[in-house]
Amino acid sequence: MVFEKLIKRLREYNEILELDAIARRYLTMNAFDGVLTMLGILVGSFFAGITDTRIIIIAGFGASLAMGVSGFWGSYLTEKAERRKELRELEKSMLTRLKKTKIGRASKAAPYILAMIDGLAPFIAALFVLIPFFVVSITMAYYIAIALAFLLIFVLGMFLGKISRENIILSGLRMTVAGIVCVLLALLLGFR
Amino acid sequence: MGKIRRLVLDVLKPQQPSVIDLSNYLSDLDGVDGVEIELIEMDVNVESVKITIAGHEINYEEVEKIINENGGTIHSIDGVSCGKKLVREED
Repeated sequence: MVFEKLIKRLREYNEILELDAIARRYLTMNAFDGVLTMLGILVGSFFAGITDTRIIIIAGFGASLAMGVSGFWGSYLTEKAERRKELRELEKSMLTRLKKTKIGRASKAAPYILAMIDGLAPFIAALFVLIPFFVVSITMAYYIAIALAFLLIFVLGMFLGKISRENIILSGLRMTVAGIVCVLLALLLGFR
Repeated sequence: MGKIRRLVLDVLKPQQPSVIDLSNYLSDLDGVDGVEIELIEMDVNVESVKITIAGHEINYEEVEKIINENGGTIHSIDGVSCGKKLVREED
């Protein structure tokens, strides 16, 4: 009952402020950031010859947390400022306070909702790539983790393709190019 | 005391929630049988609408509450019909 009420309220806020478009943007952009950061760490560690799983896990976890906190905080402060500005402009046009209306409540909730998405997207994406290091031997873990990273990048690309109604395979491949560039640059670093 | 059967309001509201959502919320009220919202004027952020509510027992306070909650302001009550029978101009 409480959950249904929450879903209903979120739907209302979404209709008023069109949060789904912004949320999709934050989700894709920041999950992409998370995966690419992890890919950089993995390729760098591989060529640096790191064989201690603990180091990869701690470094990876630290990076995930940092991205999560940065995503949450940055997004919250930015959205809060923007929503406040929009609400003030609307109040000027309406000649009345809107704090206790649905639009006022939606404007107050939006920064939290978007900050959660912005913070969780890179955090979860980065952690997903780290999973093999908890399960298999380090050499296998490197290969599987890099494969998982590319898979996630491809899936994110497909998601974007679905939104824009383009060929989802092509869209996935386009995103994967970024992953390849990341690996190549890290390879160059490894050869120096 | 007479029951309100018809209410015509001049309302200024933000563009969101939309007139469709507002008419749905108003039509869900007890005693309301039908709602019509006509767009009079549109601005960058706000719109001026004429809301006509018909029913067998309209509660004005509840109507005002829904409009305010959705960011609207009632500028004027342009018409009201009360009692057992709807009175037309030609009567």
